[in-house]
Amino acid sequence: MDYTWPSVYFAYLFFFLMFALAVFFFVKTARDGYWGKDGEDIKYRMLEDGDQRRTHE
Amino acid sequence: MQEQFSRAESGGAAPGAIIHEDTTVKWFVVSSISYFFIVGIIALIIAAKFVWPDLMGTTAWLTYGRLRPLHVNGMLFGWLLAADMGLTFYIVPRLCGVKIWSEKLGVATGVLWNVIILGAVVSLLLGRNKGFEYGELEMSLSVLVVVAWLMFTANILMTVFQRKYQAMYVSIWYFMGCLLWTAFVYLTGNFATLLATGVNQANLNWMYVHNAVGLIFTPVGLGIAYYFIPRTSNTPLFSHKLSMVGFWSLAFVYVWTGAHHMLHGPISQWLQTIAIAFSLMLLVPVWAVVYNLLITMKGQWHQLRDKVELKFLMSGVVFYLLTCFQGPMHSLRTVNAIVSKTDWIPGHAHMAVLGAFSFFAIAGTYYAAPRVFGKLLHSVALANWSYWMIMIGGLGFFTTLWLGGFWQGWQWNNVSIPFIDTVVALKPIWTVRFISGVMIFVGIVMFAYNIMATVLGPETEAAA
Repeated sequence: MDYTWPSVYFAYLFFFLMFALAVFFFVKTARDGYWGKDGEDIKYRMLEDGDQRRTHE
Repeated sequence: MQEQFSRAESGGAAPGAIIHEDTTVKWFVVSSISYFFIVGIIALIIAAKFVWPDLMGTTAWLTYGRLRPLHVNGMLFGWLLAADMGLTFYIVPRLCGVKIWSEKLGVATGVLWNVIILGAVVSLLLGRNKGFEYGELEMSLSVLVVVAWLMFTANILMTVFQRKYQAMYVSIWYFMGCLLWTAFVYLTGNFATLLATGVNQANLNWMYVHNAVGLIFTPVGLGIAYYFIPRTSNTPLFSHKLSMVGFWSLAFVYVWTGAHHMLHGPISQWLQTIAIAFSLMLLVPVWAVVYNLLITMKGQWHQLRDKVELKFLMSGVVFYLLTCFQGPMHSLRTVNAIVSKTDWIPGHAHMAVLGAFSFFAIAGTYYAAPRVFGKLLHSVALANWSYWMIMIGGLGFFTTLWLGGFWQGWQWNNVSIPFIDTVVALKPIWTVRFISGVMIFVGIVMFAYNIMATVLGPETEAAA
């Protein structure tokens, strides 16, 4: 039994699945405001959300 | 803002602060640098075998055919992916403002990952090999990789789902992309390829090989760079929107590029053309990332003088640019006719995996290890030495193989030159490659020793 074509279709199914998920999440980012006027706020917040080093530098 | 501390540095922390246990991070940090050192020895031996082919005689488990897959798998999965997983466990909880979902599951993932890598060392030396590039691990170990990845994915996704903030920093997007893409790339490369035959099998294999770099190591590596460059330099990212452009363009175009390894081969012309077109389109996400990270450092370049993490990070960005410019260019049919299957390709691959992504991982380890263990870095001077050794050795390695690869390709395209003459002609190239490899290995030893001396060193006194 040659599984060549089923395995190729299997890989392309994954391609399609990934593409569909990418489209879904891309649209979701627009709805969640990543491209809006407050889209840059997060880059400032990430600087505050790390370790507060307590040992001597 | 809620304060966050590693457990090792939490003495005197205010009530309500988030205390990260970081046990999982410790597991991955220590094991990954151990494999970096051990597999570095293997790398040195196979580089020496190019210069002295009779080295180590005909003992089966010391032959090039056994050691080369061990080097590839050891560096990819034992060092780099393990280091990247550890740094993901460090970064994601901090960006989400919560503790990791399950520290126990994380430690179990670390233990299982070590079982896989040790199993790979034994089985590959015994010659048990599936026979596919990057997919050499035998079936039982491949299944365990899938199990470990599911454990890792569940832990990171559950941490992200319970995050304190709705908006996610770009690093989290890259990590989640890596989790998803690795699942399908690994399944395709290690299972689907076994069911295909002939040209289709080769095509699937190259899809896996290229996407192993592009959809596993690239997203996790960039996630690490996007986190540590702003944090180490204490400078906000130039543009979060531009970082999202880079992420989504990578998501849309990368998956089709693998077939450019089959140019001038027996696959369909339309598939070759698609691979070339998508390879050229990669310049969009690459430039979006590189421009963003370079401009972030505008006015801050002086910090490279004092911060070894930034030296590694920004050198990694430049290597990322170079390797991602090379990729699209040698996907063109005319260039590919010269460099395909030559030493140019390992030069290109090493610049991506060592020059870019390992530099990011080394920088992350230098930053995170002292914090999670509550120690000061053992030696800043030694860290700088490790940078210069790996940097100079790496440059010698990459440039020698590009030039040698071009020379090799021109000779192969001349039918009047016997093949064996092209092998003999490359000996000076391989000698420089070995010397460069020695320098890289010395740098790896310095890095590994520095981190282990930090881990095992005396406790530091809390300043607060």
